[in-house]
Amino acid sequence: MILKPFRWLRDVGVLGMNRRNAEYILRFNPRSSFPLVDDKLKTKQLAEAYQIPTPPLYRVIKHHGEMARLEEMLGDYQDFVVKPARGTGGSGIVLVTGRTEGGFIKQSGEVIPMKDLAYHISDILSGIYSLEGLEDRAFLEALVHPDTAFDAVTYRGVPDIRIIVYRGVPVMSMVRLPTRVSDGKANLHRGAVGVGINMGNGTTLLGVYRSAIVTHHPDTKKPVAGIQVRHWESILLIAARAVDMINLDFLGVDLVIDRDRGPLLLELNARPGLQIQVANQAGLLKRLESVDKAPREIFATPEIRVAWVLETFATPVSS
Amino acid sequence: MKRPATLLVVALLLISFAVISYRVIWLKYPILPPAPAKVWQLSMEAHVKGGEKETSAMIGLPSARRGQLVAEERIHSGTLNFSLLREGANRIGVWSGAVGPKDEVIGYSATIQVKPPRPFKNRTPPLEPYPPNVEKKDQAFIRRLVAKWDPLPPADRLRRVAAAMRGFWGIPPPEDQDLQAWSAFHDKHGRMTAFLVLLRAAGLPAQRVEGLPLAESITGSTQTWIEVWTGQEWESVQPERGEIYQPPVPLLPLTTNGLPVIRVINGELSEVRWTLNRGIISQWRMQFDRIMHSDRLLDRWSLFRLPEEFQRTFRILILVPIGALMICLLRNIVGFPTFGVFLPVLMALAFRNTGLAYGLGIFWGVVLIGYVVRRWIDKLRLLLVPRLSVILTLVIVCITLFALLGNKLGLREFMAVGLLPFVILTMTIERFFVITEESGAREALRTAAGSAGVAVITYGILELGPLQLTFFVYPELLLAVAAVQVLLGRYTGYRLLELLRFRKFWRSS
Repeated sequence: MILKPFRWLRDVGVLGMNRRNAEYILRFNPRSSFPLVDDKLKTKQLAEAYQIPTPPLYRVIKHHGEMARLEEMLGDYQDFVVKPARGTGGSGIVLVTGRTEGGFIKQSGEVIPMKDLAYHISDILSGIYSLEGLEDRAFLEALVHPDTAFDAVTYRGVPDIRIIVYRGVPVMSMVRLPTRVSDGKANLHRGAVGVGINMGNGTTLLGVYRSAIVTHHPDTKKPVAGIQVRHWESILLIAARAVDMINLDFLGVDLVIDRDRGPLLLELNARPGLQIQVANQAGLLKRLESVDKAPREIFATPEIRVAWVLETFATPVSS
Repeated sequence: MKRPATLLVVALLLISFAVISYRVIWLKYPILPPAPAKVWQLSMEAHVKGGEKETSAMIGLPSARRGQLVAEERIHSGTLNFSLLREGANRIGVWSGAVGPKDEVIGYSATIQVKPPRPFKNRTPPLEPYPPNVEKKDQAFIRRLVAKWDPLPPADRLRRVAAAMRGFWGIPPPEDQDLQAWSAFHDKHGRMTAFLVLLRAAGLPAQRVEGLPLAESITGSTQTWIEVWTGQEWESVQPERGEIYQPPVPLLPLTTNGLPVIRVINGELSEVRWTLNRGIISQWRMQFDRIMHSDRLLDRWSLFRLPEEFQRTFRILILVPIGALMICLLRNIVGFPTFGVFLPVLMALAFRNTGLAYGLGIFWGVVLIGYVVRRWIDKLRLLLVPRLSVILTLVIVCITLFALLGNKLGLREFMAVGLLPFVILTMTIERFFVITEESGAREALRTAAGSAGVAVITYGILELGPLQLTFFVYPELLLAVAAVQVLLGRYTGYRLLELLRFRKFWRSS
């Protein structure tokens, strides 16, 4: 019977695209809040106002006219990241890891001269990387030195952690590991590996690469499971507090763990993807429903919410 | 949340259903598109030879009458003037003017629709006096011949008269001297007049009719027959054999009441040729006619009241929401990606001019060329708007080249590409490139296949004649379509492709 798979999915509590859009995004995420998450710079400023740590902001470039002073603006920053404020899917981001006489060393080892970097920034300003093609702003922020815990399962780039937060309660998470295919980017549709995380203790589970379940990183060939995510509780706390600063009750929170600074908020997403369920081998719908059924008291403070999560969503040892 | 949507759906369906029921029950609309009716293409051509003075050629033209409708008339009059006259129940076309040494060719064509006979409201025609050249004593003995049938109803009287014309006078037979007198009268005045006089004597209104037999034919001459009023309708009688035609009468009257079809003043008509061809009328015209002749509110507000050149647009336009419905289905129920939301609908509209195979081929040809150029342009690092402008220009160049190529090869379809939605093509090239870059060629091709698939399905729907007609007759069906769209908008279940995406989960349950 063709309807059977539908029932199976429902029984596991998998959240489908239609239900995500109709019952969660349209219902819980007011359109008016979207500009705050679509613009990384605005998100960053908001986070700073709420004392949520983010990578330090170096410079904001708003107009083509400022390009003449670019060299002066860069000062003596040895490493930094150039980002478009409204870029999507990791496009337009350049990671500079150092300087040489010829210019700047990119993450890939490639050297780009000052002139090319200036060109890239002016591209960002013209809106080449913003989805609607609107004029954009570029900003420079500190390069994150990723936590060593994931070194063995990262092919260049910076792994990040995606947490889905529903009504202020972190419900599911995964760590996204860059691969050779994803070109150092941590976006699943670009070919990064998504690895589910046990919400109860912050250890990694299985991975999803493209649409297949994997146990090892495709490039480094090291196992992805059983890695302890450091600062797990403070990561959950940052995610839980994100809702205080923005009126979005179905939210994707992206963080990175800096070796020295600890967890930093990277960006927010008002339309988080559903692939996270495959990485966790668990349905989102079930967790969303259990949040809806939870007693009122647990929503009181971020700390109480996190405590509830640690207790409720601990994944049993998976097969 | 769910309740208002459900209420809206129910309301839309109810309104739609109510209006359709009203049309079907009170306005007697057909539920299914009706069967095509028979039509005849009539055309006439003749050469006019001029006289000294101004020449006038008067030709009887078919007129709308019981069971017959005339449409799409066209006149060819050369240098002559054309005017239309009414003589009694007849329509006479008059071609007049000075004809030079060379003959003037005149012509007429029309579409004649033969409809099943309907109750015919006609006043009983008056019984005309005897023709003036029939003497009183002749009238007396002829009256004696038919007097015994007076008590019979008109239809039976006609049958007796027709039999008498074949020589069967029935029992008791008339007296010999009357029969001899009749025979002499018949020879003197001719069969036609004799027949008419005998009918007159029997108290039956009758007229001489000239016209054409309704059959595929090319002929230079017309036929004459007699129409007899039998109380309810005119019956047609073949004068030579005295036969009464059974309905449907295979005759096309041109002039009635004894008027000849062709009359010429100061000149003559030669090489007259009447052509009749059978055709099937489109179902559109039939609906059109019934609705044009009605003054009910919904008929007066029917789409059929639009001028015909706009009707054609609306026949298609009214089906576009179904195309949109298809896209809803594919995207939200199946989960297949398409370029843009309505690109496939626009493609389908364009395919109507180019044909499906050519349309698809050209469309993806342009996208592919565009993609190659777009890849190369990427190196130039052009800003967004100028970059899109370059691609737009490229698209226009491609379309122009296709048109020129089509002209050389004699392929109309290639020239019709101008109607492809070029702005949409431009955006498709850009989207195709971005998806290829960001998610790989496979995803881009999948999206392309999805778009093409919906375009083909939508095209198939737009081209469905009966569906076009049904929606055109019942535009309120759009409300039902909207209801389904609302329902789909509230579908929060899994998409079919999500079964595949999350297939890892099936096993665990």
